[in-house]
Amino acid sequence: MDMVVSNLQQQRAIVQQLRREAGFKRMPVSLAVADIIKYITEHEQDDCLLVGFSSQRVNPFREKTPCSIL
Amino acid sequence: MCEVETKPLVDSVESLTKEAEILKKKLDAERVKLNDVTLFDSTERAETMAYMSIKPRRTLKGHQAKVLCSDWSPDKRHIVSSSQDGKMIIWDAFTTNKEHAVTMPTTWVMACAYAPSGNLVACGGLDNKVTVYPLTMEEDVTVKKKTVGTHASYMSCCLFPNSDQQILTGSGDSTCALWDVESGQLLQSFHGHSADVMSIDLAPSETGNTFVSGSCDKMVLIWDMRSGQCVQSFEGHDSDVNAVKFHPSGDAVGTGSDDATCRLFDLRADREIGMYGRGNLIFGINSVDFSVSGRLLFAGYNDYTVNTWDILKNNRVSLLYGHENRVSCVQVSPDGTALSTGSWDCTIRVWA
Repeated sequence: MDMVVSNLQQQRAIVQQLRREAGFKRMPVSLAVADIIKYITEHEQDDCLLVGFSSQRVNPFREKTPCSIL
Repeated sequence: MCEVETKPLVDSVESLTKEAEILKKKLDAERVKLNDVTLFDSTERAETMAYMSIKPRRTLKGHQAKVLCSDWSPDKRHIVSSSQDGKMIIWDAFTTNKEHAVTMPTTWVMACAYAPSGNLVACGGLDNKVTVYPLTMEEDVTVKKKTVGTHASYMSCCLFPNSDQQILTGSGDSTCALWDVESGQLLQSFHGHSADVMSIDLAPSETGNTFVSGSCDKMVLIWDMRSGQCVQSFEGHDSDVNAVKFHPSGDAVGTGSDDATCRLFDLRADREIGMYGRGNLIFGINSVDFSVSGRLLFAGYNDYTVNTWDILKNNRVSLLYGHENRVSCVQVSPDGTALSTGSWDCTIRVWA
């Protein structure tokens, strides 16, 4: 009996979940993708792992270079 | 069992199953209808980058066994790591010095996380518990340690959502849970996965009340932290989802799986829009993270490498060699200038 009740509860939960998802308002992939590309384009210049550092001096993890003045 | 008693219940299960099938078909049809282009078609004209070459910069040595997790401090300098040896170590990544080493009452410390203030860390694993350690100048940080929450199975991942006052955890008991740090009270639990939760990540918004979870049930679920409800679900992976990470735009999640692929799921289109690594890659992925612009996806593999994917071009743009065993965790530093990687080779490396 417990098995049956728990199956029923489980199935109810699944259907409730699917009902929620069916009511979800979706966007065409073209628009979603355009927004992601826009975000990336706007932030690319600040992405050091993508475009590198303006100079190695601003890389906090650069190698310690021996002082060239001496 | 009496036939008469169970019959109406059996009928309900059947009618519910039927409804579920109809709803699933409707959902699939809707998703197909809106799939008007592919990500890679849309980016054909996107500029090809002169990708910068990322080099190994630091190696943090001190763990006696597999490194299982690591997390950058908000100060962009310190790293907390946890290991199979039962230790949690706080590192100064600039100097490679160890500032604290804490022995946990368990081995396999699978998760660790810095609090937003940088003054508190949380960790746990096979002890099923999440424990916080305030970081003080005192020699022994265990004096003020505090157990916040307990799961029915191992704790696989944890993070502080937005403040030092709460901790979100994922567990082998297939649930996620939100805990109050001060009282240790369970604020919300999240039921929906049918197998071990392996990874969680918070949506990148200051009022973030949404998080994502990945599980051995192959599913990726999006949750509302306040209501405790699952608001979206993504299927597609053919095996355990070991890693989930929000794209910095907040509109998509990147995932890594034992099926040897990384994927990109868009929340607003409600479907998978990118898959990375179908082909000759056969090794599983344990961890993923995005660069700050969200163009690069770093992934730690079981074949000891870190692959870097350009999510727009579907190209592998670099392969970071160095680790001598599985790469268990990868994370971009908070300002995006460096990548940390932890491995079963007992080391953590910093790349920039």
